[in-house]
Amino acid sequence: MRRDDIPYSMPTTNRPRNAGSAISDDASRLDAVAKVTGQAIYSRDRYLPNSLFAGFIFCPYGKAKLESHASEAAKKIPGVVEVEISGREGQYHGHTVGHVLAESPEALRRGLAAVACKWVREPVRTKIRDGELAEPSPNAKTSDILAKADHVLEAEYETQVQTHCCLEPHGATIDHKGESATCYISTQGTFAATDGLSDAIGLPRSKYEVICEYIGGGFGSKLNGAGKEGVLAARLSAGHNRPVYLFRTREEDQTDTGNRPSGLARVKIGFTKDGTILGGLVQKFGGVGVGRGGGGMSFPSGRYNLGDIQSDHDDVRFNGGAPRPFRAPGHPQGAFCEELMLDEIATKAGVDPLALRLNLENSGARKEMLELGAEIVGWKNRAKTGSQAGVIRRGFGIGSAAWGSGQGRTDCEVVINRDGSIEARTGTQDIGTGQRTTMAIMTAEAIGVPLAFVGVRIGSSNLPVGPGSGGSVTTPSTAPVMAAAAARAREQLLTTIANLNSADASEFDVKGGEILRAGKPFMTWAQACAKIGGEQIVGRAKQGEGERGKGHSDGVQFVDLRVDTDTGVVYVDRVIAVQSCGRVICRKTAESQIIGGVIQGLSYALFENQVLDRNAGSMLNANMESYKILGPNDMPHIEPVLWTKGATGVRSLGEPPVVPTAGAVACAVFNAIGTPVRSIPLTPDKVLAALAGGGA
Amino acid sequence: MNPFSLARPKDHAATHALLTGRRFSLPLLKGGGMDVVDHLKEGLWKPDVVIDTRHLRAPGASAPISKDGQTIRIEAWATMSEIAASDILLKDAPCVAHAVGSAASPQVRNVGTAAGNLLQRPRCWYYRNEQFQCLKKGGGTCFAFEGENKFHAIFGEGPCYIVHPSNLAPALCITDAVVHLHGGKRASLPITDLYHTPDKGIRTEHNLEPGEIVTHITLSPAPVSGFYAIKEKQSFDWPLAFACAALQLDGSTIRSARVCAGAVAPVPWLLPGVDAALKGVDLDDDKALRAACAKATEGARPLSQNAYKLTMLPVAVRRAVLMAAGKKVEA
Repeated sequence: MRRDDIPYSMPTTNRPRNAGSAISDDASRLDAVAKVTGQAIYSRDRYLPNSLFAGFIFCPYGKAKLESHASEAAKKIPGVVEVEISGREGQYHGHTVGHVLAESPEALRRGLAAVACKWVREPVRTKIRDGELAEPSPNAKTSDILAKADHVLEAEYETQVQTHCCLEPHGATIDHKGESATCYISTQGTFAATDGLSDAIGLPRSKYEVICEYIGGGFGSKLNGAGKEGVLAARLSAGHNRPVYLFRTREEDQTDTGNRPSGLARVKIGFTKDGTILGGLVQKFGGVGVGRGGGGMSFPSGRYNLGDIQSDHDDVRFNGGAPRPFRAPGHPQGAFCEELMLDEIATKAGVDPLALRLNLENSGARKEMLELGAEIVGWKNRAKTGSQAGVIRRGFGIGSAAWGSGQGRTDCEVVINRDGSIEARTGTQDIGTGQRTTMAIMTAEAIGVPLAFVGVRIGSSNLPVGPGSGGSVTTPSTAPVMAAAAARAREQLLTTIANLNSADASEFDVKGGEILRAGKPFMTWAQACAKIGGEQIVGRAKQGEGERGKGHSDGVQFVDLRVDTDTGVVYVDRVIAVQSCGRVICRKTAESQIIGGVIQGLSYALFENQVLDRNAGSMLNANMESYKILGPNDMPHIEPVLWTKGATGVRSLGEPPVVPTAGAVACAVFNAIGTPVRSIPLTPDKVLAALAGGGA
Repeated sequence: MNPFSLARPKDHAATHALLTGRRFSLPLLKGGGMDVVDHLKEGLWKPDVVIDTRHLRAPGASAPISKDGQTIRIEAWATMSEIAASDILLKDAPCVAHAVGSAASPQVRNVGTAAGNLLQRPRCWYYRNEQFQCLKKGGGTCFAFEGENKFHAIFGEGPCYIVHPSNLAPALCITDAVVHLHGGKRASLPITDLYHTPDKGIRTEHNLEPGEIVTHITLSPAPVSGFYAIKEKQSFDWPLAFACAALQLDGSTIRSARVCAGAVAPVPWLLPGVDAALKGVDLDDDKALRAACAKATEGARPLSQNAYKLTMLPVAVRRAVLMAAGKKVEA
């Protein structure tokens, strides 16, 4: 409650390792209790009276023609309202070709089953290597570099398809009331979701509201406007004048709502005996399924000086779902390739990988972070790569990230009511980062009241416009504007008090929820607010106001793990994540964001993998059992270290912590066993193959 | 999901009557119900009655796990959590407790039952997918054979390459367990006769007759026994390979050994070759121990993506043996 007493640059006390400061207290997430007790209402929880239920008919194979269906019979199933077949061909598992509308979820399932589609399968391609891949074609300059180099590293790095696995599947409930419509959508963009709905609903934009109070997982795939689900639900609701509920099944969510595309990178990199990298060829392929783009890999990342790199990229199409943005699109896969490549070069040149990075690193901040992380993880305990015997071998690895900080369109308002309550408002949503908490802290701090005084309203397109949650912009966009709006409301209140006392507003101040005059207690907050003429004071601010975060958010991560060389199982023991995000608004939610990024990164590095049947093209693990996600027993000790040196303003934190992890894990496995495993996930079979000599 | 009746018959006789009578055409027994719900959700089973069995008590049943003289008894309804935490089993047959404690997740173990664990259906992702009309479902093809078979069998002659999903069964196979039955011509069946390989019948994994109900399991103490599983994920994952071992020791020398492997074959896979090779091996002689355990893969014929199990299985066996003897294993 005493945030004002904490000087800006005071180091946090109970975590002396935090290499900077947290200006605000360790406030808990404002909606934590609501979320863990089930009081929080997600869009998928919106079962409205008199609702209809819709579901998609989709292709279960990689490529197939719809030979026949029994939609006439399905229409006769009790409770089935409508069956529509709109397509005759499936190009991937999950490809939608129609829908069923029914009176209940049970009738919907029966109706979908009764459609009894008969598919005729066709041959499929299920991966990048099934495509015709261009041969590497180094230009004259690259050829020259490679010819002159002491060593050339030739390698192929491969990454898998990762699905978003949102706990709350994609979907919408749309309630069309004739003159207006209410749209509950599981979305990362309440305002973006309004796009495309006008046509589907048949109402002007001002007549409908998109609501998303809570979202059960938003990693990028819920940034697509109202989504296929919202548009169909809106159309059906408008047509039937009843609410329509349309949420994807887990199988559909795993196949038809996007993914992090697979990648393949072939490198030929020339370097000198001492590890100076001269440049070379990076030939990349992105596995985009039926998508038209989106397969790019951030490799080279630009974080390291790699000399003259000729970088080529092709997207490769096959019979799989299209990619969608996924928490730092293109970055974790690029970082995996780049970091492991650096460790391979370092090992070949006989240089310590940390020293190599300190030499190649383009950012002074990340160099300092590398030094701090190395000290915390105990880099000096790292054995030379390939030097260990024994069944259990320990490995250390490094990864890094850089992230620019953007802003989205943001209006904020802060209302002070006569009863003393304060409400901070903007229409953006909380994808889980703690949006309510950061807004409340910024507001409380700017006004000078305890956090408990502030309520927050978000998640509605009827509120002032807020940004879509993509590119890690939500907090950087809203925090400064929120503070500016709050300062304006405070100023209005103090002016009111000053006028009533025939004094100048500059004599007054608010601290700890009390009104001070000339530095001395003057009246309570409640007494002051009771003087408000009319019902309330509203402070407003818009994008561009407040202190904007400048520069990059940087991160480095150190992984300490063990490899069981008898079984190939990798046990990650510790991850040290040094991360900057400008000014830290709330340490707990910031650290939570870093920990979450590391967890998702580890899960990507070790387990997750969309398995398509090579013959039928069906996703065989379209569930959350055999699609493997890291669980409690797989959790290492994760140590987030907030780096606030030179911090100005609020910068991005959502995506960067997921970027370095897979690369750091791969480097650590290489360090432990002496052979690089150039493909993620790093499952035991691959580790054993590498140990047996088949990996590199 | 289709509508079905839920029955809660008062005793085994009434259960048998429901299973064999004419009132229902597709009756289905349910223990904890985990696998039943999976099958219903996956559209694989369309029962007209689901019969809850958890409340059924066989004569003489008291606690979920009990011991009378040299006979340990596990009731059909004992939960996996009860088995994993049983003082009787932890002392007298630790391989059973550890095998079950390693399976699934705490939530599943809290409801999953002993009989349900033994009779659950395989996890093969073609079997579990209603789009693939595989051999087990009356079709003509094993899709794993030319498909994605990383998690499939390395033993058995096919034509179906599932691995048996039970963690409990291999542990019971080395403790002379007997499955006690109600409602058929026989009162019991040795655990080693409970299952058949796919060539002897592909639609089911077990040898129970229609109407036969498992009431309880008895087994012999195996105080020097151990279990080791190799998993990709340490939380809620199916093992890639695991082994159960029961030993008789003379100091650090193995006088006799019984080893059974799991997750490598369509049935619990006994390893008599390893049993024989372990005889006389000094546990402190790791080279000799590894050599004996290497016999575990004799006769294995891996598929296109699961040869790694050939490396893993001897490791699982060795570590199960070491666990049995109370020795430290590497991880």
